[in-house]
Amino acid sequence: MSLVERHRNILDFAISSLARRWKKNLALLAVYTFTVFVLASVIFFTEAVKREARAVFQGAPEVVVQRLMAGRHDLVPQAYVEGLSRITGVREVRGRLWGYYYEPSTGANYTLVASGDPSVQPGTVAVGRGVARTLLAEKGDLLPLKGARGEYVSFEVARVFSSESELVSADLIEMHPEDLRGLFGMPEGFYTDITLKVRNPKEVTVVADKIRRLFPDTRPILRDEILRTYDSVFDWRSGLLLVIFAGAVTAFIIFAWDKATSLSLEERREMGVLKAVGWETSEVIAMKSWEGIVISLAAFLAGVLAAYLHVFVSSAALFEPVLKGWAVLYPRYDLVPHIDPYQILALFFLTVVPYTVATVVPSWNAATVDPDLIMRQ
Amino acid sequence: MVQLESITKIFNRGRPDEFTALEGVSLLVEAVKVTVFKGPSGSGKTTLLGIIGCMAKPTAGRVYVDRQEITSLPERFLTHIRRRTFGFIFQQFHLIRGISAVENVMLPALTTGEPRAAIRRRALELLGQFGLSGKADSRVEWLSGGEAQRVAIARALVNRPSVVIADEPTAHLDTTLSRDFLAGMEILKAEGKTILIASHDPLVYGAALVDRVVEMRDGRIIDGAAA
Repeated sequence: MSLVERHRNILDFAISSLARRWKKNLALLAVYTFTVFVLASVIFFTEAVKREARAVFQGAPEVVVQRLMAGRHDLVPQAYVEGLSRITGVREVRGRLWGYYYEPSTGANYTLVASGDPSVQPGTVAVGRGVARTLLAEKGDLLPLKGARGEYVSFEVARVFSSESELVSADLIEMHPEDLRGLFGMPEGFYTDITLKVRNPKEVTVVADKIRRLFPDTRPILRDEILRTYDSVFDWRSGLLLVIFAGAVTAFIIFAWDKATSLSLEERREMGVLKAVGWETSEVIAMKSWEGIVISLAAFLAGVLAAYLHVFVSSAALFEPVLKGWAVLYPRYDLVPHIDPYQILALFFLTVVPYTVATVVPSWNAATVDPDLIMRQ
Repeated sequence: MVQLESITKIFNRGRPDEFTALEGVSLLVEAVKVTVFKGPSGSGKTTLLGIIGCMAKPTAGRVYVDRQEITSLPERFLTHIRRRTFGFIFQQFHLIRGISAVENVMLPALTTGEPRAAIRRRALELLGQFGLSGKADSRVEWLSGGEAQRVAIARALVNRPSVVIADEPTAHLDTTLSRDFLAGMEILKAEGKTILIASHDPLVYGAALVDRVVEMRDGRIIDGAAA
């Protein structure tokens, strides 16, 4: 009990000591908090987007088969669908129809997809929120699209996708298969690519090998490969952002190191007084350590909290252009809050611990002076 | 109470600037008496007070506090004895700027493990005794010289020490304030405290309350060694 009381009193004094040099410490706290905020925001955002992407791809087919002609993506004949269905272990083979559409007035690229949804009747479309925003289109409006022969075809907006799916549906326009073939001038009996599901997920690579052997002009793309690509793209983007902020982080490290490792004359004098009035060396060091802990812990908590609000409430407004990467159709959506304790712990050890340790070393030197030195001043 | 046996203190030993501050000093300091160490600057008064008060260790010789030999004790135990037994009043007061008078008085007791409220209550009582109740929450840099010294005295007493050590306490005070200081020491003596003062101020070593004057020069006691 007396140990708790003793440290409570030392902590109280450490806080009052910080308050006495409030200008210097407030500046340090602000820079420290900003650094933690940037690091935590990047970690939270990257992890949340990766999780989102993984969740979206969870129900996606394990394999997408594309046909190549002279190294370029080409249309796949209907006969390939039948051929792929005969491969052992394969189930649910489907031909997909889709393409890209460039809209010059907004400078945006849309993804047009043939829909199996019965609500998308011929002459109607379902659009993503990004499309609806850029074209100011609502349900019931007419959406004119330029066809392969140069004519404009108008489609009625039957539905706007919900915001939950915005990460992947922002640039999407779904339409009836016949409308899509008509618009792009795609011949009957051909598809853009083919998707298939595999009964045993462990056999996906075996199935992919079989596809390559049976249809040498195709390229099977595995869902896991796409996920890996997504992960590395977001890792690369977060790395890019960290490089941008590297200057700020370095400035903080220099500033914090300087603050932590150097004691002002006044601070040294105070430590001498404390020793002279009966404090032990370990108690003086404990007091300086408490100062370091209070600063770094306050900065850590404030930085992490601000990063949480920034990423999960304001949808990472500050990083959006770099991290999301869409040119015109920025998706607007709220990320599902998720915090990985391991990452928080790593951030804690990278920020709080080095600073606290850095404050103890110079204090040790100053605190081990003979208390009678103060009598000679 | 405190006994010194053949105390020698050498600073910067083995270096070109080696300096012997005390040489073969033996002394018995009696309890509940006022002892003044007088002598010119550099005579070793402050060094001797530092050794008596467990602030520094002698280079040679032994120190006994309440018959316990303390010279060989590690810092931790020495600090504990110092905190319990001695209260210090420094020449420059050495109050911590930016905090209040009462917070300064509380400082020596903060590491004893006593609840903060009890320490504060005692600190306020001490400030009251020295007529500083109204200044308890004032920052120490706003106090006058005399008030600052009374805060320093209150701080020296907060751990209820049996010995009060004052180093050149009147060096920065005018005659009136010096007399006030001596009046304060009179009260402490009456309360049963042992008082050790280093001073070359005649007002101090000539005061009626002083029981014994030990004269020092060049690190040796030249008069008053025997009680």
